[in-house]
Amino acid sequence: MKQLKRYAIILVLFGLIALFSALSPYFFTQQNLTNIFVQQSYVIIAAVGLSFVMISGGMDLSIGYQISAVGVTTAALVKWAGLPFPTSLAIGMAMGVFLGAFNGWASITLKVHTLIVTLGTMTIFQGLSYIISRQSVILNLPPAFKFFGQGFLFDFLPFSVVLMAVSVGIGSFILNFTWVGRQIYGVGSNEEAARLSGVNVKAIRMLVFSICGFFVALSAIVLFGRSGSASSSTGPGVEFTAMTAAILGGVSFKGGEGKMWGLVTGVLILGVLSNGMQLVGLNTYVQYIVKGFVLLLAVGFDLLQKEGLAKGALRVSAKQAA
Amino acid sequence: MGETVLSLEGITKVYPGVVALKDFSLDFRQGEVHAILGENGAGKSTLIKIVAGAVEPNAGFIKIGDQSFARLSPQQARSLGIEVIYQEFNLMPSLSAAENICYGQKTGRFASQRAMERKAKALFDEFEVAIDPRALVRNLPASQQQIVEIAKAVSRSARILIMDEPTAPLSIAEVEHLFKLIRKFRELGTTIIYISHRIDELFAISDRVTVMRDGRFVATRETESTTRPELINLMVGRELKEAYPERTRAPGETVLELRGVTGNGDSDISFELRSGEILGLAGLVGAGRTELAKVIVGAARLESGRMLIDGRPVSIRSPREALSHGIGLIPENRKEEGCFLEMDIGWNISFASLRNISIGPIVGRKKEKALATGYRDLMRIKAPTLEQKVKLLSGGNQQKVVLSKTLAAKSRILIFDEPTRGIDVGTRQDIYRLMDDLTREGISILMISSDMEELLGMSDRIVVIAEGRVAGTLEREGFSQRAVLELASGGSYKETA
Repeated sequence: MKQLKRYAIILVLFGLIALFSALSPYFFTQQNLTNIFVQQSYVIIAAVGLSFVMISGGMDLSIGYQISAVGVTTAALVKWAGLPFPTSLAIGMAMGVFLGAFNGWASITLKVHTLIVTLGTMTIFQGLSYIISRQSVILNLPPAFKFFGQGFLFDFLPFSVVLMAVSVGIGSFILNFTWVGRQIYGVGSNEEAARLSGVNVKAIRMLVFSICGFFVALSAIVLFGRSGSASSSTGPGVEFTAMTAAILGGVSFKGGEGKMWGLVTGVLILGVLSNGMQLVGLNTYVQYIVKGFVLLLAVGFDLLQKEGLAKGALRVSAKQAA
Repeated sequence: MGETVLSLEGITKVYPGVVALKDFSLDFRQGEVHAILGENGAGKSTLIKIVAGAVEPNAGFIKIGDQSFARLSPQQARSLGIEVIYQEFNLMPSLSAAENICYGQKTGRFASQRAMERKAKALFDEFEVAIDPRALVRNLPASQQQIVEIAKAVSRSARILIMDEPTAPLSIAEVEHLFKLIRKFRELGTTIIYISHRIDELFAISDRVTVMRDGRFVATRETESTTRPELINLMVGRELKEAYPERTRAPGETVLELRGVTGNGDSDISFELRSGEILGLAGLVGAGRTELAKVIVGAARLESGRMLIDGRPVSIRSPREALSHGIGLIPENRKEEGCFLEMDIGWNISFASLRNISIGPIVGRKKEKALATGYRDLMRIKAPTLEQKVKLLSGGNQQKVVLSKTLAAKSRILIFDEPTRGIDVGTRQDIYRLMDDLTREGISILMISSDMEELLGMSDRIVVIAEGRVAGTLEREGFSQRAVLELASGGSYKETA
């Protein structure tokens, strides 16, 4: 029963899959399911980055414009500056890490909640992105760039999905198995206790934002590669999708909590919902309403199950004590 | 003694799997201070909550005056004149003292700042305390917040005032002051239900004492005609041995020396801590003891002065560096600064020593398990499994977890801030025994405590701090409550010289 509650979010995902399979003959096909993964891969990669920040007790609202800035910069370097793609890619990724580190540095220096800090940097990154792109669309990205969003390994494995899996794997490994991961959870769970236990909280804050910047930059390459062209208006909005997915998947707003599988499930629920509703013929605005309700339900359910678990544990300890 | 104002008849409260109160009956008289004594988990909190209407009993009646209730709502309880001052303050930090006191009360058609301030001022004058009614609560020290909380309850013309561990955040002098207030209320005919772990206080303030154990009524005694050992026996249901372990070992070499340490509000603090010693740090709340601890572990800035470890000067700029020098702080606020409540026991214990149990970047699960199991057994942490979340443990067990975490990080010098605050008598003994055992192994302890008995019982020497300065040092032969109090309140105590 306890296990059932814990993994309820996965049941919700399967429930939705079953529902849409019944409603539309096109839903449960290999083609469509692959599509969902390909469509959602960049969101998952960005959400992996965001989850580092959220688990440490922070929030990053700037990732949408980080994607935009990194994407157009990489494209501009390839198309306008004529740099080879690998060099541009490296600079783009480095820029992502730098923008993330800037968020970390600003939040440490200003001692303000990261929500406020990234609200400010979001606007900075927006300006940066539009200046770099000169408000134009950079068309015809080179095939190597497009490969990140459209390519296949061995003719059947979408490269973006591979990148997604690797990102989830790396994120999972750092958070679950390393002492740095423990310290990240510690800072999110109780910052002062972590500091008194010898954690360099500032270093952790720099680290989580830099890691976030790295994954966000990768997400940008995948997203821009998929569309094949680069414009500054691509990217914004991802922060809210990623945040919604993270919360759906059980990453706590207060920090110190959250697992990668939950996050992936959260993104997939949103992906299945929008894909399924599209196939059933519901328009975009109805989709927004449904997604909003799903989030509210998930949060409500999360609270319920936590209370349930706490009660269960109390019962157990009372029995042991008796 | 007055007539009965509140009586409980056969109150039973069952939580899933736990009987919190079992057929509990008790009368409270008008104008008495009635102390309730019991270990943690004896059912005191549940009792308070039922009287305050926060929890519904499963059976029994609450009689107030000539009315009888099977259950009360919080509004009913309040309108009947029952006010509770909980352990955790229910104040709004961003509002002023006056606004907090008058919150939810009408002071005319519109909320008038001036009327509120006048009312607050009148109450503070009555209590003979100088608190600015306009001061924001978050800027007041804990002791003054406590008084605001009391003023709030009194301004609602409470007939029955329930106080849950009211002296926990107070220093010795402030406790005296609180007692004066309590006596004043008693004269006005208010019934005070007083809950405390500190038995000495009950003798100072209460008229009757009721002892609870495992949710049951054990006995009620006239305070005058009972004794401390009798109460302890009633409470734990077994004979307790010496309250404090006998300290016989002579301390060794100096391990930590402070020379003119200044910073975080303290100035020119100098003393030595020797190997295997328990050095008590006494003083009023706000004297700068916790602040000094923060400076020593590098959580606050050292402005001038020096610290020496094993005779060598060290510079400590963060708790991380302090730990690497073997200095660990066990903070006074366990929940806020000590443990990770949402995480499990093993996770907490290993947290400060992760690198020691890691192979490269990866945490060694087997080593972690061994470490946690070792400390659980050593500290006798009572929990079904190491996977139990720390928030579900009792205060005493949480303290043991924090202590384990700090020791696992190979600390040789422990700064123990209020080691037994809010911990029940049985577990206190455990903590004292552990402290004694640790010092026998050469670990040195700097113990900050506001509990006089504990200070005198556990320390080998006592350094008294007053207003951010060292007011004096007492050797064990010179220990007395009077000496500590005199020094702490800024007086000079002759016999120290």
